[in-house]
Amino acid sequence: MRSLLLSGIFCGLFAGCTRTDEYPNRPITLTCPWSPGGGTDRVSRQIAYYLEQELNVPVNVINATGGQGVTGHARGLLARPDGYTLAMMTLELNMLHWRGLTDLNWKQCEPLMSLNEDAAALFVRSDSAFTTMKQLEDAVRNRPGELKASGTASLGAWHLALAGWLLSIDRQPTDVVWIPSQGSDPSLQEMMSGGIDIVCCSVPEARSLLDTNQIRCLALMADQRLTQPGLEEYKTLKEQGCDWTLAGWRGLALPKETPVEIQKRLMTALRRIVTGKVERNGQTFPEYMDSEGFDRTWRETKNFAAFMKRSDATFGELLKRDEFQEVRSGPVGPHAFPLLAAAMGACCLVMIGFEQSKQQNTILSASGNRKPKVPVTVIQWIAFFAVPAAATAYALFVDEVGFIPAAAAILLTFALLLRASITAAILLAVIGSAMIYQVFTGLLRVPLPPGWLGW
Amino acid sequence: MSDALQIALQNTFSPATLLAIFVSATCGLFIGAIPGLTATMAVALMVPFTFFLDPVAGVAAIVTMEACCIFAGDIPTTLMRIPGTPSSAAYVDDAYALTCRNEHEKTLGVSLTFSIVGGLIGAVVLIVAAPQLARIAFEFSSYEYFWLCALGLSCAAVVSQGSAARGMLSLAIGLLISCIGIGSTHGIPRLTLGINQLSSGISFIPAMIGLFGFSEVLRNVLAPTLHQPAAASPDGPFESHLKSAWNNVFGDAFGRLKQSIGRILTSSTIGSVIGMLPGAGADIAAWISYAVSKQRSTPEQQKEYGRGSLQGIADATTANNASLAGAWIPALVLGIPGDSVTAIVIGVLLMKNVNPGPDIFENQLPIVYSIYITFILANLLLIPLGFVAIRLGSQIVRVPRHIILPLILMFCIVGSFAINSSYFDVYAMLGMGLLGFVLEKYKVPLGPIVLGIILGGRLEETLVQCLTKSDSLAAFFSRPIAAGLGVLCISVWLWPLASRLMSLRNNSTDTTNS
Repeated sequence: MRSLLLSGIFCGLFAGCTRTDEYPNRPITLTCPWSPGGGTDRVSRQIAYYLEQELNVPVNVINATGGQGVTGHARGLLARPDGYTLAMMTLELNMLHWRGLTDLNWKQCEPLMSLNEDAAALFVRSDSAFTTMKQLEDAVRNRPGELKASGTASLGAWHLALAGWLLSIDRQPTDVVWIPSQGSDPSLQEMMSGGIDIVCCSVPEARSLLDTNQIRCLALMADQRLTQPGLEEYKTLKEQGCDWTLAGWRGLALPKETPVEIQKRLMTALRRIVTGKVERNGQTFPEYMDSEGFDRTWRETKNFAAFMKRSDATFGELLKRDEFQEVRSGPVGPHAFPLLAAAMGACCLVMIGFEQSKQQNTILSASGNRKPKVPVTVIQWIAFFAVPAAATAYALFVDEVGFIPAAAAILLTFALLLRASITAAILLAVIGSAMIYQVFTGLLRVPLPPGWLGW
Repeated sequence: MSDALQIALQNTFSPATLLAIFVSATCGLFIGAIPGLTATMAVALMVPFTFFLDPVAGVAAIVTMEACCIFAGDIPTTLMRIPGTPSSAAYVDDAYALTCRNEHEKTLGVSLTFSIVGGLIGAVVLIVAAPQLARIAFEFSSYEYFWLCALGLSCAAVVSQGSAARGMLSLAIGLLISCIGIGSTHGIPRLTLGINQLSSGISFIPAMIGLFGFSEVLRNVLAPTLHQPAAASPDGPFESHLKSAWNNVFGDAFGRLKQSIGRILTSSTIGSVIGMLPGAGADIAAWISYAVSKQRSTPEQQKEYGRGSLQGIADATTANNASLAGAWIPALVLGIPGDSVTAIVIGVLLMKNVNPGPDIFENQLPIVYSIYITFILANLLLIPLGFVAIRLGSQIVRVPRHIILPLILMFCIVGSFAINSSYFDVYAMLGMGLLGFVLEKYKVPLGPIVLGIILGGRLEETLVQCLTKSDSLAAFFSRPIAAGLGVLCISVWLWPLASRLMSLRNNSTDTTNS
């Protein structure tokens, strides 16, 4: 009876550890370079949702944020080309290398499909004096340097969109002061509180405020108006006399040299998804994108590559211009803040030094009781140094070895160092590693490496 | 009863919604109790499940998951000294000190009770005053945010255990660490030493796990800190065992409730107001509330802060739960997310054709009422579920050291990996763990480091925004709210200096008199 129970527990612990040889046979990771809740994250999660349906394996989105997009793009494109990491790429890939932030560019991937292209747009508050682009242009000509705008970080996509518009009407990019921010949400908030005059971002990002008429869209930087219901009324820059367009794009790619069969398999799935042939819970991907106001233009492999090449060249031209070498944020240089923090730290160290010396005097004058110190044994020192060693070894070797063997080894070692009995240590190693594995991969959809055991 | 309310009640109490609430409460408690997993991550994971559910059930599931996750974060905070959420870092030392004295059940009971009270008051504020209060969000420009960040950071530095100088040093370290990487303000790499992975900086979750959890493992290996209580054998019938367990957990808490009404109101107000501001959330609220709580206490009580003050824990946890409901105010009324969870929620709402904004009160009142009801329901559900979680969780303290320490080590490693599936985060955790170990030897508090890492970028960003808008320093006080916050902040800076001057003067009058 007891052995039956135990074997039942073991089976449960190792559930889901079977593998076939066909691709895909384990969970896929989709890297998203931007934070949860934003436009790219929403598109990533939707496409992951439909890919799960098509491929019959979990597709987990991870938000690898930071470095203005460098982190996420690097994670996705420099991953192992085994088809189990998909990268969601955005427009910023075409900008980051021109800005010297990374060597990564569009040539270092196998492009699969671009999913979306949202044009930049200019927004003002509903109670603002500007109702047409002409009024805005006049204000910029007459009072350069007075108007303030925001939408993203300095030299981010929307900043360049605004700057490009200014250049196309023969103005300097600095004629409108750009206030850097973390993204469209905080920029819209800043505009609503009266801190800035204009926000440049895409329509889906400003949707809630637009729908409730708290802001107004002055112009769309696209060739044609939007076709989604409710959004057709926004005029393009072209209609208002200016020939400048810029759109943020999002698309999926694989790391370079991923096998062709895997690329083909994913393309088949993606084709079915974007043409609305895959339904999940009564909705297709095109229907979702329409309902949220996302553009649905898609381009397959070669077209996608050609599109990225053009986009890359446009940004190269823009960013090499003299005016942009000057466009840096604000009067405070980048090293001011860390220097201030370091100075504050140094002052504190000095003050602490004073305090310590004062305290030494008072302690010496009042000889108090000291708690007897328990001596530390050799085994304890070994355990002490083994802790960071274990963490380092894990990070270095777990991809090769696999999670379960690595975790079991660590658990076993420490249990023994802390004087557990051999049976207890082995039980802990086996049950503990299996339990942690199930919790993280099963429940929380965090990918843990399979390694030697193949799980 | 109005039609909308009736519809809302029907929808919320339908079997599907109630099941969704129950399941997400359980999952929320479980996920929140694992060090390294935040409420935002849990909600993001939950979004695919909401696709199956109708709008009411989907939103109800998210609300419940968030409330339970934030409370469950207190469990590793108390039992393992690993803050489950950044806001728990404000009282992690207090909570763990109490565990070492074998008072963990009482501590978790206080934490649970005051979390629920804070959550309920926050929900009431949301219900009663959302449209009016939302307008306040629009008064906050970069000047106000700058002073608010500065205030939160200053409170953390000044209020931490030990001298203000040590607290400030800790803050300075945190701010320096936050500068690592390519910031959004300047767009160039700083302090990255040429290492690619450092271009995104050091994430605060691996830092937190490392500073507190990993360093605790190191310390524990050298000298056990946890007192292993003798296993209490449950005598007698189940009901009396249950009753004594209930008393253990809640006995102290209920008594405290009656005595602390004033403090509860202060903390909830701080929590709701700060939660209401887009981008300012539970972490700032918890620290400011902890600071105010210490300020209001008598000098003997003040000595307890940092060493096991239940009052401090109570006040901080009230504020951080109240701020959750507050974050929904700008989200519902204006369509602007109040924090990262509501950012995800707005996406889900839009997908279900619920449009946040002032019109939501006219066009979709039933779902608004459903959200209100769910907030109250989720907090009430925490009473039984939280109790069970506490009882299960506190069994951890009974597990022998040679089993629990290796498991905690593994959770530290995998928990820091799990956020971004990045091995670099494991190294970051390791580095921060060693830093935390060394700093504790010199009695430098660790809490301000975490807040510095989280808010450093924001502080710099708002500073640059303010200076870009206008070169003069006077502009920082040009708007009324900004001026008020600025004055508060500066008085926090001057406080340690003032109290030292006063004590010097007292000493000198003593010596002259004697």
